[in-house]
Amino acid sequence: MALNLAQHEQRALPKPGQLSGWFTTPAILLGLLFTLGPIVVITVFSFMSQPANGSGVDLIFSTKGYEQFLFQEDFYGNRGFDGRYLSAFWLSFVQAFFTTFASIAIAFPVAIWMATKTERTQNVLLMLVTIPFWTNLLVRTYAWIILLSEDGTVNTVLGWFGIEPQVLLYNSYATLISLIFSFLPFAILPMYSSLAGFDFRLAEAAYDLGARKLDVIRKILWPAVSGGVLSAIALCFVPAFGSYLQPVLLGGGKVLMVGNLIADQYGQARNWPFGAALSVIILALTLLGAWALLTWAKRSSTKVSLAV
Amino acid sequence: MKHKVPYALKLRSFPGVGIAGVASLVFLYFPMFVVAAFSFNDGNRALAWQGFSIRWYERVFHDAAIISATRMSLIVAGIATVASVVLAVAYVLAMDRLSRAGSVLAGAILAAPIVVPEVVLGIATLSFIRLIGMTPGFLPLVLAHTAFCFPFAMMNIRARYDGLNPAYFESAADLGATRAALTWKITLPLLAPGIVSGALLAFVVSMDDYMISSFLTSAGTTTLPIYIFGLIRKGVNPSVNVVATLLLLMAIAVTVATTVLTGRKKS
Repeated sequence: MALNLAQHEQRALPKPGQLSGWFTTPAILLGLLFTLGPIVVITVFSFMSQPANGSGVDLIFSTKGYEQFLFQEDFYGNRGFDGRYLSAFWLSFVQAFFTTFASIAIAFPVAIWMATKTERTQNVLLMLVTIPFWTNLLVRTYAWIILLSEDGTVNTVLGWFGIEPQVLLYNSYATLISLIFSFLPFAILPMYSSLAGFDFRLAEAAYDLGARKLDVIRKILWPAVSGGVLSAIALCFVPAFGSYLQPVLLGGGKVLMVGNLIADQYGQARNWPFGAALSVIILALTLLGAWALLTWAKRSSTKVSLAV
Repeated sequence: MKHKVPYALKLRSFPGVGIAGVASLVFLYFPMFVVAAFSFNDGNRALAWQGFSIRWYERVFHDAAIISATRMSLIVAGIATVASVVLAVAYVLAMDRLSRAGSVLAGAILAAPIVVPEVVLGIATLSFIRLIGMTPGFLPLVLAHTAFCFPFAMMNIRARYDGLNPAYFESAADLGATRAALTWKITLPLLAPGIVSGALLAFVVSMDDYMISSFLTSAGTTTLPIYIFGLIRKGVNPSVNVVATLLLLMAIAVTVATTVLTGRKKS
């Protein structure tokens, strides 16, 4: 299945099985109520003030939610710069960047490998990459606790070689490896799908004409796969940036990323305006990123599709 | 388009891609394999192998809390699947009648749950239901699940619809089929593989969701992911190994079924 970012063409032949346009209403209503509606509401909430006690918001205009992102007021009302939340954003960015980079770097040879197999093998490999995609994310994250904990699988194997048990869990490396594990299929699938129709005889021809290996990769394979790379960036970076399960379960409370920061504001911290403001900032960054990707795609006339 | 890759090319051009491919599959499957293996562990502690046993499966199948959380997940996923598939079929069959701007806008709103970070969608939905005077519980849970399952159901149904040959409809119309008959007797049966695979994916997406549900559940509506998240936070747990293995099996079954149903059209 494929979700094209570019708008689909109007069908040339109208199909008589069609229903009247009114039949789209229930779906659109659901989208307006439970997707667009909530996003509008948190945007409004981000400009409201925090009630004296309890959760929720007081409907009084305030920009405090956004000010809190950078500044902190001390007991006497003096305002000082506060870098804690900015560093959570930075950490999220770094984690998402390395997740995306590693996933694409791994997916590139894997996509070539898959695409050069016979059709039947390709279908089997495609299925093998798709299964993790549909496996419960919580369960996939949990698997790394078993692997990395103090008496876990990795330490057991290390023990066979006489190596002392290492502390592997509850840090940003454990978080990163599980993020790559989570999102690698999101890179392989679109990159493979942009290479699947590629005629590898082109690469053969380039070799015959004396091209060097690096040139073949750079000038022939990379352009063919670049649409898939753009999709992979979108599909890996955004969810990794806003991830919650991996930093909470494998970071053990020590890895503060934007996802758990936001969730905390709606949980223990009971600061909804701040949580809403952080969400609006993420959404704005996501939109900006999507716009940049699409502009880049248009410029280099690369076709981007979120092939899943 | 079919093409054969000369064997010599594979060796000469891309040495190492095979290693990368196999290593990636090992990376993707080894952790799940370890979990599945430990689900058959006899020991009380989850991490020391003490022989083969299915006693944790027996324990999980008699664990009242896990059973009731599973039942809640199945009910929510069942309703969300049926609702999102019905809405998706109606939407796909009618979307071409929308104006161009309308269909761009509708498409963007309806696909948003895929693009918006889950944690944002979760707190946004909580804020929204609070504003309209609802409290977390069954109804908001089901509605939110329907909304984020919709794009997954819709994509498969639409792919199938776009691939249908208009000739079927034209000949049916030529033979005097009414509009209603066309929809019920021709379109829907032809869409069936897309509908079933869309439904399966919507079901898995709903069963898997932790993040959005965590903001919308109340004490009486604990779903399976919410419950096992609680267990996982306390550390490694043999019961979680069993549940994890069963969820992995579900993912395998659904992936195989959708692959067979949709059939790979690209070579």
